Amino acid sequence: MSELLLKNARIIDPARNIDKIGNIAVADGVIVEESALKDPEVIELAGKVLSPGFIDVHVHLRQPGNTTAETIASGSAAAAAGGFTSIVAMPNTNPSADTAGAIEYLRRIAAEQAVVKVLPCGNMTKGGKGEEMAGIGALKNAGVVALSDDGKCIQDHGLMRHVVEYAKSFNLPIMDHCEETTLAAGGVMNEGKWSVLLGMNGIPGASEELIIARNILFARQINWKIHMQHVSTRESVDMLRRARAKGIPVTGEATPHHLTLNDECIKKFDTNYKMNPPLRSEDDRLALIEGVADGTITVIATDHAPHTQTAKLVEFDHAPFGIIGLETALPICFTQLVASGIILLPQLIAKMTTGPAEVLGIENYSLAPGRPADITVFDPEAEYTIDKNTFRSKSRNTPFDGMKVRGKINLTVVDGKIVFREGC
Amino acid sequence: MQWKRKDLLGLYDLSAEEITFILDTAAEFKKVSERRVKKVPALRGMTVVNFFVEPSTRTRVSFELAEQRLSADIVNMQAQASSLLKGETLLDTVKNIEALQVDLVVMRHSATGAQNFIADRLKCGVINAGDGAHEHPTQGLLDLFTIREKLGGFKGLNVSIIGDILHSRVARSNIWGLLKLGANVTVAGPSTLVPRDFEEIGVRVCHNLKDAVANADVINLLRIQHERQNNGFFPGIGEYASHFGVKTATLEWMKPDCMIMHPGPINRDVELAGEVADGENSVILEQVTNGLAVRMAVLFLVAGCRK
Amino acid sequence: MSSCQQLFDAGAMMDGVRLLGRRIAAHFAGTDRKIALVGIHQLGVKLAGLLHAELKNQGYDADLGMLDITMYRDDIGTRSMLPRIHETVIPFDVNEKEIVLVDDVLSTGRTIRAALDALTDYGRPGVIRLAVLVDRGEPEFPIRADFAAFKVDLPAERKVLVNFEAVPGMEAGIFDVKWQNKQ
Repeated sequence: MSELLLKNARIIDPARNIDKIGNIAVADGVIVEESALKDPEVIELAGKVLSPGFIDVHVHLRQPGNTTAETIASGSAAAAAGGFTSIVAMPNTNPSADTAGAIEYLRRIAAEQAVVKVLPCGNMTKGGKGEEMAGIGALKNAGVVALSDDGKCIQDHGLMRHVVEYAKSFNLPIMDHCEETTLAAGGVMNEGKWSVLLGMNGIPGASEELIIARNILFARQINWKIHMQHVSTRESVDMLRRARAKGIPVTGEATPHHLTLNDECIKKFDTNYKMNPPLRSEDDRLALIEGVADGTITVIATDHAPHTQTAKLVEFDHAPFGIIGLETALPICFTQLVASGIILLPQLIAKMTTGPAEVLGIENYSLAPGRPADITVFDPEAEYTIDKNTFRSKSRNTPFDGMKVRGKINLTVVDGKIVFREGC
Repeated sequence: MQWKRKDLLGLYDLSAEEITFILDTAAEFKKVSERRVKKVPALRGMTVVNFFVEPSTRTRVSFELAEQRLSADIVNMQAQASSLLKGETLLDTVKNIEALQVDLVVMRHSATGAQNFIADRLKCGVINAGDGAHEHPTQGLLDLFTIREKLGGFKGLNVSIIGDILHSRVARSNIWGLLKLGANVTVAGPSTLVPRDFEEIGVRVCHNLKDAVANADVINLLRIQHERQNNGFFPGIGEYASHFGVKTATLEWMKPDCMIMHPGPINRDVELAGEVADGENSVILEQVTNGLAVRMAVLFLVAGCRK
Repeated sequence: MSSCQQLFDAGAMMDGVRLLGRRIAAHFAGTDRKIALVGIHQLGVKLAGLLHAELKNQGYDADLGMLDITMYRDDIGTRSMLPRIHETVIPFDVNEKEIVLVDDVLSTGRTIRAALDALTDYGRPGVIRLAVLVDRGEPEFPIRADFAAFKVDLPAERKVLVNFEAVPGMEAGIFDVKWQNKQ
């Protein structure tokens, strides 16, 4: 197999606490010592940042069920273009990924068509309906890396408790979409000043916070890992911070959009600002940033949710929730969080590499020799305007189109193979 | 000033000067309806589509009559939001209407912002006849017209809007218009229907009827919808009426000349006792009359702003 | 405006107003009909006011109304903006009456056409006459002035502007104006 020598990059490897200029050598799909190379392809990367491949623990690929919006092939190509070498596929496809057969289908198509590692996530309950536990053991055997009912949330606390206990015995982390549905019912945006002003039905923060509180109680009682997906409110961050301080095995993720946008964006009725959980108040947004900065939130995940233009070009009330994010995550986070001085670059990279790896139980996710050669390179100085028409994703539902950003992915390497290369 | 908008979507976007301009224009159109010939040729040759994606009787009749008095050609279309969802999209529907060389679309829709969504994508003018709980600009304007006609102006006036503020587009359009024109606005009702968040938009929030009416120059009562009871916003119509309904006894707490308004249709003896609705402080029927004048003015101005 | 030539100065203009008043008075002299003037917004209203005062000097107490014809224009929807609607006040019963419509200049006749429509929507006048200060003589509609103080013959692209009161930069009088950027 081919060899690569990635030269003179700023290497940031959070697991080993490395931030230095240097070279990375790749042979036969793994990272090796530079001295082991015989005739490598040399890529000059002066001025670029090189890190372990980004992991997105929250991606909707829409296959099977809605391949007009996205496919495993197009979604994985979008991931590669966004610097992601591994993505976790959420199970709310149609049919749901709640059986071994569905997981085997996903793995087979991914093996044939995907350019990055597609890690399957299985449902906690059959059909994600929150009524009956899915065949979690069979899902484990089929290769799922985690369990989630994302898009929905188990409302029956007794069932949830059993799911967490059962998942623990199969060593599968839980990733929960935290939403109490009676409070959220009918809501289309954050409940607060802007929902009152616009006359829209609100989704109160308490809808998320109640379930976060529940999950913290279960994680402590059962002593098992529960990851809170797309955390969106100040109170959620506070609860997570206190729980983690007590050593309870809970983690939380924030999305690039919740970190950079707030509910005022909705005043123009653009459905590309409609997502669940909704964009929250500016105060909530600032709390999320505090959580990212102080280590309460260890994961940035995109919640990449493709929808066709037809689906989104409707009345705000009737539009589906969600936006795409794989191809905008790095530039948005780099521009708004790092370039603006809120967090340091190694912190951002940790949230996109070691943080998600820890959630999935991947140990020693680094650029150490012997590790799989999953590598991301980007140019922190490149300035450009986001153009949705350049996306690899089949969908265009992004609020970031036309935004001026800094930070461009140049190279994505999966198991030593270049899957995306542009500008280096 | 001169009118420069092809659409009327809400009062939130309008300046005080624009609102006053509409009211001034409406004053002249009111006279048309008082003449023997209650019709002017202003919109002759223009086609107006009344597209109602939510049932309405009064607003639709008022718009239709306004259009007739302006000599426009009229087409009425009715649809259910749910059937629109299953079949053709709203945008396709209105694009098809526009392709028939229509000049104006008067639209009501149950979804907030639906009119803003289509107005951005159509060349023809769009008049909002009520969208979700967002805005009902012509109702807001007719309430403002009635207040100005009766009381002369807005500066320092105390106006209390009482009822289900949370779900009311009438309340929001009134709030924006009144605040821009310099009135003090109080919103009142049970806290489930009048959340504190309203304070952030510059109005006083109160949960007590006596407090709400005591200093008011105008009270505007909103219709209480029975379905809110089923959703647990309050225990029952009877309890609502006893705590927030305006009755003859309530008049003792009020200034003697306090003006009583209601956008209709009234739930008699729920938010407003029948004898008060018919009493001398009530201007409810004048509101209906003024609604026609205001809608004529709005149609005229929006239709006149082409090219 | 590129050129602005005075046709009549303020004194001549006011002589014209008085002349118009005398002609109207002469028309009604010896009848028991009360004179009713209806000015068309905006300069017609101004002129009707001046005529009303002039007639009063001559011993006639005329009825006075004002009419806005914006709702009756035939170009709504073809202009980017609408002029402001002014107040219409007809404080007398128009039925069977002899009414003198008053405007500053008779040019194309379109304003008068709209005014006739507007006025007849208030009732059924017996006779309608037209009084103008300046008659340009080439209307686009079959409409003629019954009373006119001045006849002015100018090409159609020129505009006759009546200025009853001097303002900074423009004295009172009647002017021939050639617009620079017509279109």
